[in-house]
Amino acid sequence: MKEVKLSVNNLKISFRTDAGIVQAVRGINFDLYKGETLALVGESGSGKSVTNRAIMGILAANAIKEGGEIIYNGQDLLKITEEDFHKLRGDKIAMIFQDPMSSLNPIMRVGKQMTEATLIKGKLRQKESRKDFNDMLALLNKRMDEARSTPEKIEENRRFCRSFDKFEYKHLDLEYSYNKATECAETALEHINDILFRIEKHSYANVRRDLFETLKIAEKSIERYVVYSRGEELKSLINEIKPHARIKFSEKFSASVRFLFNKSQKSDSERDADWQLISEKLTAVKEILNEALNYVKPNFFVMGYYLTFANKPLPDMDIESLNKYLRKYLDDDFMLHFIDIAKEGVKYSHALSVEAKKSAISVMEENLDFFRSCEDKKEALQKAQVLIDAVEKSIDKLEVVKDNLLCTFKTGLKTSILMYFDGAIRNAAEEERFNKQTAKRQALVDRGKTPDYMVPEKDLVDLDNAKQDIINLILRTKSKLEKDVKESGNEDFDQKVVALIDFFKEKASAVVFKVTKEIAKNRAIKLLEEVGISEPRKRFRQYPFELSGGMRQRIVIAIALSLNPDILICDEPTTALDVTIQSQILELINKVKRERDLTVIFITHDLGVVANTADRVAVMYAGKIVEIGTAEEVFYSPAHPYTWALLSSMPDLDTKEKLEAIPGTPPNMIYPPKGDAFAERNKYALEIDYEVQPPMFKITDTHFAATWLLHPNAPKIELPKQVKERIAKMKELQKEA
Amino acid sequence: MNFESETILKVENLCQFFKLGTAELKAVNNVSFEIKKGEVFGLVGESGCGKTTTGRTIIKLYDATDGNVYYKGQRIVAGTKTYKNNIAKKREEVKKAISTLDKTCVDYAEKKAQIISEAAEYVRAQKEEIKKADHDRKYCDKDYAKKIMAKVSEEYLTLIQNAEGKEKESLEKEYNNKLRKAKHKRLVTEIQMIFQDPIASLDPRMTVRDIIAEGLIIHGEKDKKVIDEKVYKMLDLVGLLPEHAGRYPHEFSGGQRQRIGIARALILNPEFIIADEPISALDVSIQAQVINLLNELRERLGLTIMFIAHDLSVVKYFSDRIGVMYYGNLVELSDADELFKNPLHPYTKSLLSAIPLPDPYYEKRRKRLVYNFLAEHDYSVDKPSMREIKKGHFVYCNDAEEEKYKKELID
Repeated sequence: MKEVKLSVNNLKISFRTDAGIVQAVRGINFDLYKGETLALVGESGSGKSVTNRAIMGILAANAIKEGGEIIYNGQDLLKITEEDFHKLRGDKIAMIFQDPMSSLNPIMRVGKQMTEATLIKGKLRQKESRKDFNDMLALLNKRMDEARSTPEKIEENRRFCRSFDKFEYKHLDLEYSYNKATECAETALEHINDILFRIEKHSYANVRRDLFETLKIAEKSIERYVVYSRGEELKSLINEIKPHARIKFSEKFSASVRFLFNKSQKSDSERDADWQLISEKLTAVKEILNEALNYVKPNFFVMGYYLTFANKPLPDMDIESLNKYLRKYLDDDFMLHFIDIAKEGVKYSHALSVEAKKSAISVMEENLDFFRSCEDKKEALQKAQVLIDAVEKSIDKLEVVKDNLLCTFKTGLKTSILMYFDGAIRNAAEEERFNKQTAKRQALVDRGKTPDYMVPEKDLVDLDNAKQDIINLILRTKSKLEKDVKESGNEDFDQKVVALIDFFKEKASAVVFKVTKEIAKNRAIKLLEEVGISEPRKRFRQYPFELSGGMRQRIVIAIALSLNPDILICDEPTTALDVTIQSQILELINKVKRERDLTVIFITHDLGVVANTADRVAVMYAGKIVEIGTAEEVFYSPAHPYTWALLSSMPDLDTKEKLEAIPGTPPNMIYPPKGDAFAERNKYALEIDYEVQPPMFKITDTHFAATWLLHPNAPKIELPKQVKERIAKMKELQKEA
Repeated sequence: MNFESETILKVENLCQFFKLGTAELKAVNNVSFEIKKGEVFGLVGESGCGKTTTGRTIIKLYDATDGNVYYKGQRIVAGTKTYKNNIAKKREEVKKAISTLDKTCVDYAEKKAQIISEAAEYVRAQKEEIKKADHDRKYCDKDYAKKIMAKVSEEYLTLIQNAEGKEKESLEKEYNNKLRKAKHKRLVTEIQMIFQDPIASLDPRMTVRDIIAEGLIIHGEKDKKVIDEKVYKMLDLVGLLPEHAGRYPHEFSGGQRQRIGIARALILNPEFIIADEPISALDVSIQAQVINLLNELRERLGLTIMFIAHDLSVVKYFSDRIGVMYYGNLVELSDADELFKNPLHPYTKSLLSAIPLPDPYYEKRRKRLVYNFLAEHDYSVDKPSMREIKKGHFVYCNDAEEEKYKKELID
């Protein structure tokens, strides 16, 4: 079973407009697994962008969230506050927008836009990490005190926890200068490669200027742990090349005069020889940098500990043995003891939570019957609070991985209770409205007029269902708790402690990692290179309008990646671009997804693009998912007529006959049709399609489609000719390959 | 068949440069092609390669820097840069020649005068050319009308001379009628453009009727009845209803708006249409509708279309011949099928390798070829030009590459 990153359950969103309420999303469900790409396909107005805007929390002001939930990391994104969203948006969930021109600020330089988020979030992250770190440490300390309650042991607990608090801060300078030096080395390497290529091709324009920049960067990479043994050699090499580079901007004029003069004096072959010399030296520099980048990374964590508590300078040895030596020191002096002590605390905390879980189960059992028969809202809310308290108490706070079900129990229970009790009131109001409007319309018809509006259908809450929801939620939580209690005997506490220490390490390095302007700039430039922009240092100073469409989209992608998000939402990132750029951008998105282990939601209307990127495909029409399955299933055995129509309406390289266009336009979602929304445009529509909405029929474990054609009683319908031919051709190609 | 009826549009060494501070942006550089009557000519390339600029220069939305465009044999676009360059070059030459002359020589003054007079002759010729080009650019419409008038009179005058009595009278009447029509014939009405973005290209404050009829009114149609009739006919032709005429563009969906754009282009009975990415801004299900409509119209009205797009599968489906552009240059020109079967230029290959298809298996194995101009070609010694590798298949290459491509075709 794969880890579910995000799950959308029965999401419903409408928009209030002058003409009436537009139902944009009408109950969609999907799970997003870690590391996959889910593509949402459909034409404009099918609700795919709205779904994703809901996930990002950037719905327009006139949107009504009618129901459902979006669960991410133990939170329901539809119900959390804007302040909480600030922590997620960009940080955990990032978005790439359709039009790169309108999503970039035209009057800000690229560099400023790229570093903006890093700088703002950097401060916030530091603050939050510190809070998380301190809270967790205090909690652990408390549990340890409770578990080991003699005075001297408590003293020992204090010592360990305090030292944890202290030593992390020491390795800041070391790690920072290391990172900077490595970055410089990498950048310099790429520049050198570029320059060597240009020298080889005899195109010397601007090479001198670039050479100067490169040397400046290369010089910065000399640092204790990066170019540590061959630093002198590198320095002398750089000094040798330097006279050939253009020195300073202020000397540009004289340099250019000199250059011109030289040009007229020297023949072409002499000039080439000059460059040959430079290229040889550059190759030497390249070698040194390459070697440097292959060294082992020093372990700054242990270094920090050593520096804080050993009170001695670091021993002078090569990195690998230094790492080993320090690691041993840390383990002997601190870590092994700490793990032992902390384990007791964790064990104690776990035992506490198991106790709390047992009591929560009993509380639930007591109150289950009450909820089955309850009709008073106030009383129900009071009882619910009791349940919620019990469940909240049973969550083991020292656990790093949070449990979705238990964490969302509070919001879930409250909303379903309100849904049930307010639903009754709302139903009555809705009934009244409907009767009134129907009567009014009928009166008009009776007078012989034809009214230019329709009466929207009654939107009633199914009370039995709502009640069942409450009971189901409690039962589900209860069974989860029971399962936890049953499995509580065989927990691996060592692993838990290690996870906890990793958590501390991560938070501590986040606290330590101050984002200054320079760091942000370096990171941004590295990112620009990662997304395939040449001359990133130059681009950094340019304005968006100076760049082409593909470049702009790359910058938007770089901005989205700048905070290392978990989930990346791509809202038609290639629609505004042409073919070559499109495939470059797709390759780029696939690449960063692989490298950073991202989870991607990809919105598009181009099926070719989908085939390239998606692991799973969801086809949307009129606010509903009509077909969902893996890419192979949807493309090779499509089941819904809308998917057929999409597949056959675009020409491919062999199409000669007339295209099979989908007639008409999508329905007006102010008055959504009673039956299947696609029935009007569907030539395979059955009579039932106009009456009842089709449920999701299961085809395979991963493939579902909402069409009555899959019902056992439905007539057998062949795939349209074009689709069939195309699939046959695809299969043939596969066999050949 | 003669030149006029076979080739409807001929583009010759067309250049369109834009000033960028002190530098020059060569948006279109030395592009030549011909479009035959009744065919669809596709122009593809990545954004910024100059395909839209080419279209706009042909329809005279820009003033061409250099080169000529002939529509039915009538020069409609004429650039003057070559002549100006020639003059400058000549002047330089003269200066050089005079400075090298031996001043102590006996016939120094004589020789100098000779050089100058020769140069003056040359410059005068060039200036004449510039004058001609300016004239053509300004008065191509009137010249075209004169040409047609001449044709009409040639046809009728002999007939009238030979005829007698009543017949002569009716012939004279017919002749005058035709002559008047020919006099008002305007070239611009025969070339029309469909724009990319149907939202930006329709005036939001005009009703559909006004938008479609605007061209008619500008060209002197005053009778409201006739206008209405024609507008309704056009709406019917593009698959809209007559009652849509009173509405405003914002009331329509994207596909319908593009249909309005097409109706506006068709109302003056053009023979040649430049369609500038007419489907790029539309939804998938609507794109097919618009392509089908264009195809149908082309067959029914016998239109010649220049189709500019970057979606290669659509271009392949729709066009008879395709030109591939890269940074202002036309790099390959061939029949659609031939181009997709035997792409020769490396840029075309890279372009073809980038087409996405709705087939996951194919997509996951598709290798995109990267085109790097510097790495592919070495034009430092041997300059490239457009060469015919196979009948009707032109590639921009130099001698060595021509050999290579020919070999490739045989294999």
